[in-house]
Amino acid sequence: MADLPQAGGLLRGAGARSVPLARWLTAALVAAGALTVIFPFVWIALTSLKTPPEIQRVPLQLAPDHWGNLENYREVFRRAPFSRFLLNSALLATVSAMSSLVVSALAGYGFAKFRFPGHSVFFFAIIGILMVPFQSVVVPLYLWVSRLGLLDTYLGILAPDLVSVFGVFLMRQAIEAVPDDYIAAARIDGCGEWGIFWRVILPAVTPALATLAIIKFMWTWNEFFWPLVVVNSPSMKTVTMGLIGFTNMYFIEYNLVTAAAVLSVLPILLIFVILQKWVVQAAVMTGLKG
Amino acid sequence: MDRQRRAGFLFVLPAVAYFACVYFIPLVESLIGSFYRTLPGGASRFMGFGLYERVFTDPVFWNSVKTTIKLLALSVPSTVVLALAVALGLDRLTLRWRSLWAAMYFVPFAVSLVAAALIWQWLYEPVYGVLNHALALVGLPPQKWLQSLNQVLPSLAAVNVWVRLGFDTMIFLAALQAIPGEYYEAAAMDGASARQQLWHVTLPLLNPQVVMVCILELIFNFKIFDQVYATTQGGPAGASQTIIPLLYDTAFKYFRLGEASVMAVFVFGVLLVVTLLQWRIFRRPVDY
Repeated sequence: MADLPQAGGLLRGAGARSVPLARWLTAALVAAGALTVIFPFVWIALTSLKTPPEIQRVPLQLAPDHWGNLENYREVFRRAPFSRFLLNSALLATVSAMSSLVVSALAGYGFAKFRFPGHSVFFFAIIGILMVPFQSVVVPLYLWVSRLGLLDTYLGILAPDLVSVFGVFLMRQAIEAVPDDYIAAARIDGCGEWGIFWRVILPAVTPALATLAIIKFMWTWNEFFWPLVVVNSPSMKTVTMGLIGFTNMYFIEYNLVTAAAVLSVLPILLIFVILQKWVVQAAVMTGLKG
Repeated sequence: MDRQRRAGFLFVLPAVAYFACVYFIPLVESLIGSFYRTLPGGASRFMGFGLYERVFTDPVFWNSVKTTIKLLALSVPSTVVLALAVALGLDRLTLRWRSLWAAMYFVPFAVSLVAAALIWQWLYEPVYGVLNHALALVGLPPQKWLQSLNQVLPSLAAVNVWVRLGFDTMIFLAALQAIPGEYYEAAAMDGASARQQLWHVTLPLLNPQVVMVCILELIFNFKIFDQVYATTQGGPAGASQTIIPLLYDTAFKYFRLGEASVMAVFVFGVLLVVTLLQWRIFRRPVDY
């Protein structure tokens, strides 16, 4: 799993010995597939710049008449408090990323470098959560959040999202790789356990922390099921819920849906494109949301 | 306990306490809740296995199970086979091109399932959608896609394939690149053709990843909710009513929390079996 797409030799496997024509054919197929995968994004971006008459024109036209037509975007913000949705999602995603970092790093350190009664029981219990689909616990969680008066609050939306199993697992893996000598040296210098955590462990695992922050931010931003359960008022809605608001059983205004979709997807895509290497690494490493 | 052991315990305590509150206790409560019926006014009555009987004799429930399985059967094999093909193709490219195209395959994984579903709903749009326009160009009649009883599941499956393809490709690609080159050199020396190398070297070595990806896809597709809720809401005529949307409706639309808990226990049981199967398969370490 350590070898990522970025690594490896120039040419691998049977391809290195295949004839140039076959290699070109492979490249062409791979490229065509990639462009097919990307096309839906291009298509919604183009649609979001079109007026309803342009959308309904036959035969179909790809490009909008005016590239600078942002009327659909203005309408999205007029119809719904979409800036509030964006702000809500950004806030929730940031807080959940931060809380995940703190709790996962602490637990990762505890599991990686200490032995105490219950050590493996606790660890396997946490890993075992990966077997529990969130939907299996949603009814009791809803009753708890409701009893505590947290329906329709930020804390209520965040309740099941503050830490993820993935985070604990990732941090344990990363911290295990920190040499024990560093910790022993710090202890000899009179550093307390807390001081070691802050001054030795955290600086040593910064890349893993960054990965976790990005992944957790993305997950919370994209979350839909739980917010749908606990949120009622428009001012507490997240971007994914706001996006749903633009669909209607009878008539969907696709010029607005596509603009809203672009607004919901763009921040995540930017993060993804800039920090892609870390995201891919984490996804390949764990393979599972939890 | 000495100082260090206590410190270790304190470091893991917040996480353990959190997961106990969010997963362990609610899971037990779900189990208990599946035996009680909530009465108007908040009281509850012990039902024994009454609610299980009610859910497990309900044709709507079994229809949702059947629909879920149909969707699985459509999505999982196509995702895995396509991802394998793409990974094999990417593996043969030079480094620079490989990174570029691989990143493009991976992009849908970053967006929310709701956005993915709405993007595809627009492609599927029967009158103005780009897919029917493309069909018209080659002289084929327009299709109803998500609005058709027969096409709604394949259409949703296509969305799932699109969302998951890049992720599975990454896993396969990472595994492909970990295969030592000497294996191919040895095979070539024995006179194996490219196809023989694929069948007798690459695919057997990739077997663990194929099993893992199949199980991950099984779990992902079994839990499908966002895509259905965002597009068809289970329609037309229940043709896309999978199990989690049914659980959601039962709990939060009709407030039949007991029945929803029975479904929750059912979903947990099914995924538990699948995951244990995965652990069994993966306990064996893989040697190259």
